Amino acid sequence: MFKLASKAIEVANKHKVDFGDIRVVEERNQTVAVKNGEISALTDQTTLGYGIRVLYKGAWGFASGRDMTERAVADTALRAIAIAKASRLLMRGRVRLAHEPAYQDFWQTPFLKDPFAVPVQTKLDMLFALDKTLRADKRIKVSESEMNFMREHQWHMTTEGSRIEQVLLNSGGCVTATAVLNGESQLRGYPCSHGGQFLAGGWEIIEAMDLPAHADRVRDEAIALLKAPVCPAGVKDLIISGNQMALQIHESVGHASELDRVLGYEESYAGSSFATTEKLGKFRYGSEIVNLVADATLPGGLATAGYDDDAVKAQRWHIVKDGILSGYMTNREFCGRIGKDRSWGSCRADGYSNIPITRICNLSLMPHKGTTEELVAGIKDGVMMENNTSWSIDQRRLNFQFGCEIGWEIKNGKKGRILKNPRYQGITPEFWGSCDAIAGPQEWRLWGVANCGKGQPGQRAMMCHGSSPARFRKVKIGVHG
Amino acid sequence: MKNIEQVCKKIFKLARGVQCEVMAEKRDSSLTRFADNVISQNVASSALNFSVRLLDGGRSAKMSFNQADDATLKHAVASGLEILKKQKKDPALLPLAKPRPIAPGKNMFDRETAELSPSFRAGKAAELARACGKTGQIACGTVDNGASELVIANNLGLFVRHRDSSVTHSVTVKDHDGSGWAEKTSHDVKNIDFARLNETARAKAAASRKPRDPKPGKYTVVLEPQAVADVLSYMNAYSFGGQFYNEGRSFVCGKLGKQVLSPLLTLEDDAWGAAPGMPFDFEGQPRTKVTLVERGVLKAIVHDRKTARKAGTASTGHALPQPSYFGPLAINLAVKPGKDSLQDLIKGTERGILVTQFHYTNLLKAQTMEITGMTRNGTFMIENGKVAYPIKNMRFTQSMVEAFANIEAVGSEAEFLQGWGYISCPPMRLSGFNFSSATKF
Repeated sequence: MFKLASKAIEVANKHKVDFGDIRVVEERNQTVAVKNGEISALTDQTTLGYGIRVLYKGAWGFASGRDMTERAVADTALRAIAIAKASRLLMRGRVRLAHEPAYQDFWQTPFLKDPFAVPVQTKLDMLFALDKTLRADKRIKVSESEMNFMREHQWHMTTEGSRIEQVLLNSGGCVTATAVLNGESQLRGYPCSHGGQFLAGGWEIIEAMDLPAHADRVRDEAIALLKAPVCPAGVKDLIISGNQMALQIHESVGHASELDRVLGYEESYAGSSFATTEKLGKFRYGSEIVNLVADATLPGGLATAGYDDDAVKAQRWHIVKDGILSGYMTNREFCGRIGKDRSWGSCRADGYSNIPITRICNLSLMPHKGTTEELVAGIKDGVMMENNTSWSIDQRRLNFQFGCEIGWEIKNGKKGRILKNPRYQGITPEFWGSCDAIAGPQEWRLWGVANCGKGQPGQRAMMCHGSSPARFRKVKIGVHG
Repeated sequence: MKNIEQVCKKIFKLARGVQCEVMAEKRDSSLTRFADNVISQNVASSALNFSVRLLDGGRSAKMSFNQADDATLKHAVASGLEILKKQKKDPALLPLAKPRPIAPGKNMFDRETAELSPSFRAGKAAELARACGKTGQIACGTVDNGASELVIANNLGLFVRHRDSSVTHSVTVKDHDGSGWAEKTSHDVKNIDFARLNETARAKAAASRKPRDPKPGKYTVVLEPQAVADVLSYMNAYSFGGQFYNEGRSFVCGKLGKQVLSPLLTLEDDAWGAAPGMPFDFEGQPRTKVTLVERGVLKAIVHDRKTARKAGTASTGHALPQPSYFGPLAINLAVKPGKDSLQDLIKGTERGILVTQFHYTNLLKAQTMEITGMTRNGTFMIENGKVAYPIKNMRFTQSMVEAFANIEAVGSEAEFLQGWGYISCPPMRLSGFNFSSATKF
């Protein structure tokens, strides 16, 4: 594949571009799903193509193609150059990329069992058995069990001499049950809903989830939620657990710290960020126990790789350190704007047909101390919420509202009855500033976000957020229309 | 297109003995993105994707690929057949659809639009950015264009195809602490008035400077077309599809034929209407015009073959690519316009809020269509029939069933917008709309 890719580099060099690269990407994506006793998805998708990026006299051009011939690669490179020439019509200064050494390397996601080698019928048998358990009660109107496997094989060459081959493998799955009665519906999932839990690795990820051990509980809790009281409204203390903490980190810190967004380059679509560059190193983002670390080397992380799509080697860095804004998600184009001469390496593209853009890396809340029980014991009047059902945040990542699958009332230090439709609202720095306890490393776990959307044209990216349950004081809870 | 036909024939030959459906989509798209008064991204892509569905007596498999050489086709079909062989029978699985007559769709292809050059797009971005630069404003947005061709064929003799072109100019202008937005999409670039869109966004940005702090609570709102389309698209997707209805998750359940929404609301799905599209669905079946809401009475829901069978009725021609997680979906929605201009809607408001656009809306509760989201790019207080002053953005948390029951007036000027498909939507005035909190800008 590098032989084919080198044609693009040859054309780029011939036209004396400032920088050029080609990523040849082969993807395989398998989805197997059962819903209400029927196969709802049994798809196997493969794509192969290449995206060529050139920086010509300081202006960007990008074109992609799927015709795997040298002539087509050369034509696509010329098209990218022509587009870059058009970009020169509206530029302020020349785009310059931060320096990065050239690498010749191979990297792949560690895994134990190739999920594509597991027979489809084995997967279907497991899913049908789960489905049967979920539907054991007639009040469950929608039962869903699914598995997804994704492999991306990429060959990346740059005009600077990098020649990087990577094979990334992700696996995920879940069970969800929706109970419906008298115009009311309640969803419960394991490990979470929205397509389920994903991590980097193979079939062992599915085995480790042990879905059959949780299907009965998921069904019973969905039914119990039908008759549970609605989460009361008020200003109360909040414990966030399950994958809801991943969404909280993702929306209010992850996107807010993407440097392209901070600089206004996402304004026309997803918006900008309140975490502007003059705040770097000074702004109190959260309480002193809040440490949020970006890490492209994290084992099991969906954004873990040897290199990003700017050909920058994987790194680990603080976004928030001891509560202070300390870093951003960067690419090689924009990192100079905050005085950095090297990108932290968080630039990725969705498949072969998209240009690499700044993305959220794996971003985790570092554990502190104690247990969830100790967090509960410190609350007089509060709610514990688990697993996300809805999310919304404003265009500068300040005002947010989240909804969760299930809540538990907390009174006088004791976790009590379950509550339905639990929701909370907040303003990002005030909310993180109210964090007064984070459980210890024994409860820390990694959650995958498999469908993060950004950019125009829209691109999907995957990343993980690790956390232990955490406690927040005086939060606006139970917001209803 | 000839090439696609040949590939279909090759696939059918390889899949002899089982039912076989091919969906092929060719898409050429280009996009110039600008921000901070410079071009920030300029991209083009060409894609051709095939999806092959194999069915054999209650067994199914779907293989997708983007290379059409003989080896890939052979491997894909062989893999699919192997999956079929080892699979247990699913008695609920429908066989493939037989061909049915399809009425011609509206012409939605314009070659000039499909082939707009990078320099054309850059030129349009430059016109806006240079004007903004002179007045201290910041231009952000996109100019994108392209064309797509879709073929659905099966070895029962079904063969349908549709092609369209598209162009969109989307403008966001920042003016210190103010912001404005305007957007138009069409299949024909001659329908895009770039200068007018630029002016609308720039004027709105200037008018929204120095916003005041609003007080959350219930207000009368005048929603511009994009804001209406945003929440109405959610209502359509989670309420008027046969799957959600069959599962008891739609607010429409048990209410068909009943007056639930305002008599001022009539909502239709019509592939030949104000928001046209392809005349067949993703099962190759003819789309039919469906009146979902007539003067506030819930009239019908849309079906694909699977949900229709469960409901004991016929498909309305609203299938998504099969198998579909989401079920059927209406994608050519049109709200019947009223009599008042946007200015009339404002004039008739004693005290209320004018909303240009919503941001990051999300569904909270399907049975009441409770939705949350933020206002964006121009939010204004209306007092005594006039736009009085700009306000900072607010979050709404509101049942849309209740909101669309409280329509006070529907505007006369519908915009053709992109949602979950296409939607033609006028502005509206609604009473008692709940804003649950405010933000800081």
